[in-house]
Amino acid sequence: MKAKNVMIIGGGIAGMTAAWELAEAGLNVDLVEKSGFLGGHAIQYTCKATAECLQCGACSVEKMLKDVVGNDKINVLLSTEIENIEKNNGYSIKIKKSAAFIDGKKCTNCGICFDKLKENEVIIQGYSKNNAPLYAVNREKIDENKIALKDVCPEGAISVSDKASYEDLTADAIVVATGFDPFNPERKGTYGYAKFSNVISGLELERIKRQSGFPARPSDGQAAQKIAFIQCVGSRDENLGNLWCSQVCCPYALRTAESLKHKNPDLDITVFYMDIQNTGKSFPEFYETCKNDIRFIRSIPVDIFPAENDNLNMRLFDEAQGTTTMETFDLVVLSIGIMPNSENEKLSTQMDIALDADGFFKNSEGLNKTSTSNDDIFIAGTAQGPKNIAASMAHAGQAASGVLKYLGVTK
Amino acid sequence: MNTNTKLQTDMEKIDMATDIAVIGGGYIGLKAASRISESGYNVILAPQHNDTDLNFSILDVPLTEMDRIKALETEVANNTNVEILPMSTLVEAKGVPGDFTLKFVSADTVLEKKAGAVVVATDTAVNPLNHIYGLNPAPNVVSLSEFENLLASEETKKEIQNNEKTVAFLVGFAHEGSPLLMKRVLNSVSELVGMDGCSAYVYVNNIKVADDGLERLYKQCRDNGTIYFKLQKAPTIIQENENLSVTFHDPVIRNDIELNPDIIVYEESLIADKTNLSLAETLRIDPGPMGFLQKENVHRLPVNSNREGIFVVGSARDVQGLSKSWIDVDNMVLRVKQLIGDGTKSISTKAVVDREKCTICLTCYRCCPHGAISWDDKAIISSLACQGCGICASECPMEAIQLIDFTDAEMTERIKEAAAVEAPNAPKIVAFCCQNSAYEAGMAAKAFNYELPAGLQLIKVPCAGKVDIHYILDALVEGADGVLVLACHHGNCKSESGNTYAQWRINDAYRKLAQIGIEKDCLEFATLASNMANDFARIVIDMEKRIGQKKD
Repeated sequence: MKAKNVMIIGGGIAGMTAAWELAEAGLNVDLVEKSGFLGGHAIQYTCKATAECLQCGACSVEKMLKDVVGNDKINVLLSTEIENIEKNNGYSIKIKKSAAFIDGKKCTNCGICFDKLKENEVIIQGYSKNNAPLYAVNREKIDENKIALKDVCPEGAISVSDKASYEDLTADAIVVATGFDPFNPERKGTYGYAKFSNVISGLELERIKRQSGFPARPSDGQAAQKIAFIQCVGSRDENLGNLWCSQVCCPYALRTAESLKHKNPDLDITVFYMDIQNTGKSFPEFYETCKNDIRFIRSIPVDIFPAENDNLNMRLFDEAQGTTTMETFDLVVLSIGIMPNSENEKLSTQMDIALDADGFFKNSEGLNKTSTSNDDIFIAGTAQGPKNIAASMAHAGQAASGVLKYLGVTK
Repeated sequence: MNTNTKLQTDMEKIDMATDIAVIGGGYIGLKAASRISESGYNVILAPQHNDTDLNFSILDVPLTEMDRIKALETEVANNTNVEILPMSTLVEAKGVPGDFTLKFVSADTVLEKKAGAVVVATDTAVNPLNHIYGLNPAPNVVSLSEFENLLASEETKKEIQNNEKTVAFLVGFAHEGSPLLMKRVLNSVSELVGMDGCSAYVYVNNIKVADDGLERLYKQCRDNGTIYFKLQKAPTIIQENENLSVTFHDPVIRNDIELNPDIIVYEESLIADKTNLSLAETLRIDPGPMGFLQKENVHRLPVNSNREGIFVVGSARDVQGLSKSWIDVDNMVLRVKQLIGDGTKSISTKAVVDREKCTICLTCYRCCPHGAISWDDKAIISSLACQGCGICASECPMEAIQLIDFTDAEMTERIKEAAAVEAPNAPKIVAFCCQNSAYEAGMAAKAFNYELPAGLQLIKVPCAGKVDIHYILDALVEGADGVLVLACHHGNCKSESGNTYAQWRINDAYRKLAQIGIEKDCLEFATLASNMANDFARIVIDMEKRIGQKKD
């Protein structure tokens, strides 16, 4: 019997997990990823350990990426998008390959393209050594760099064409694992994101920590000494119509604060919040530790003003005094929320599956949150709603389990 | 590499039992039985004595789903591939993955069953927390479960409605709680404020809305008239027979606010099944926080226990409603398929016991974190259960155990090679790197061109627990100026305790070095994660600086 073929749309942690599970069960998988790298947002996160592991799950993404890249049943299609999907006894899918991409078979990860074209920002480097290839072409900069791209690679691994190319694939089932868009903090204008250099998003702090190993201020590269985390930026916000908790930001801020404190006990960290959400089953104990190390203020600051030396003044309500006070921080981290992927609408039309009121993919069954109104299409990970790394992996496992059941793959 | 240091790799063909045992006869156990049987395996379903506290978990389920969940009972009862044992207790579990022998005691009879894998699917229990508020249960002071029951019965519900009751809910002051509990509270609140004349006050600390639809439900209740008081500490409550008073200090208006509800609903915690700990002991799996099973180890998928072939799902491992438990069940089915397949498997041996050397002291049995070792007249390592960490090989006092991929002879040679590499004007550093963390981080540091010591040599080990003390001393004897043992962070070791063993051995090595007058600067133990190239570079550069200075 011919092995069944499954297409997975999205190569973040959910897509990778679903791909790996299905490959383990003997199926062939096409894993389609729009960007030049597998790993999605999850691979960008750094380890949050203190003297002990805090179960953030970042290292499990690294492991999954390694397993997926090394699996010959998984056909990884990078820099690739879905152009069209047609249902006919399974699915015929037209995929669109970017006009410029790096051929993984030829690339040696030498980094010459990255170094030579650094100024042009047309070559980007992956977050993980397990990204294969380690470099990708920045889609937004292709047009003005076509000539430079053509000549730069000594191995001829960079493919540059006039336009995108198309290919037809088939699938017996589809897993939608298109993930999320991080909230754009510019929409919360009073925080001065993009105006004040030391107001950054959590994702940016991750990149800085990965690079420097400490919370370096973007303005001067100096280690921040007094940091504020503002929770619920974009989440639980009625004015924005975002009536959901992003579920990952409290664990993110608490673990990050603890790991920063572990490396530098003199750090002064304040977390501004509405309600602290749990991190895991050891939460009560962990929260007590956090309360000893971190100042918690139950109030979401109204606005931020620039202060001397690129510091930031913040207006906040002091519950003990019952008044508003002003306090200065040298780095403000916005815990930005999980938003539905902006392409969900297009995909939902292409596949004829519904979105929920918030714009995430709607599950058709009450309890199984991977099922859709098409019995051969499954949702996995944050495409269905906010989830942390472990929950995305588990949800993707459930989607894979659903695929196997649908395709009649038993023991 | 010298080929005769390599052991012969054996492929072992193993026949496995394809019956799967499910322990726990609540809805999660039933769902597990149903899904396993759908995947082509027979199921032995062993209900435990107290699988009765189920009503609460149904409450995270939409009413439309109730019939389908209840239908599981008949579906499983009529499923000829599921053998349902009488109410029983698991008293003994022997054997290895693919071949477990389980003994259940039911009343006076002992039932012995063979199973290829075991699934623990126990339920949670409800624990009322009135004592923390100093409240005595009374008709007008009830637990959340009791209030749910009042709303569930038409008669008592009508009574609440006709008397236009005002109800105060207390949440999150006696314990942090969970989204599942919050959902139960909000479901009750939502129903209450939907009844004409009734009103709800919710005194709450952290509102746990980290689950699908909860923020929306929270706002809906508010829009329908629910009043929330978000407080950092519990309000002052006075209970005098019929009269109830709840008072708190409002920090904004700087005044005390007192209300007199007709009913107070106090919170509950969801606690682990009391049989979990004895199950953990019988099955030799690790208990976790607060009586739930297994440690939170991100190197394992959540349903895997520390022992291969023993899986933990749903509320056996955490406070989880049915929707999340279903996710566990589906993931468990994947793991069962991966392990048992069609019942036969060819598997390569990871570790061998030299039966001439083994004195059956059982050190290996005690130190194996995966329960992979049993014995006849000598120790036996199950190829299916073994994860290849090598802790047993390093701990064996008779040196009777060898890992196929990391034999002592091979390691000795590798150490000699590493210590012999000369880097001009740079100290020689040999770093033993766990393949699950430090080795990956080291390779990443190379891939991303971090500045690394010129005299650095990495030696990959399966787990830091495989770094023998004589590896460390050999490296120094062979000419290394510094030795690093780099392990996973505590709580992050794939084999649970490999990093702890490594640290013990380093401490032992320090003592030995001190005896011969060598300073401890030349040896260091550190922990890091696979994705932290930066940490790796910092650790090795720091050591180079330290011993480089000494050398000058």
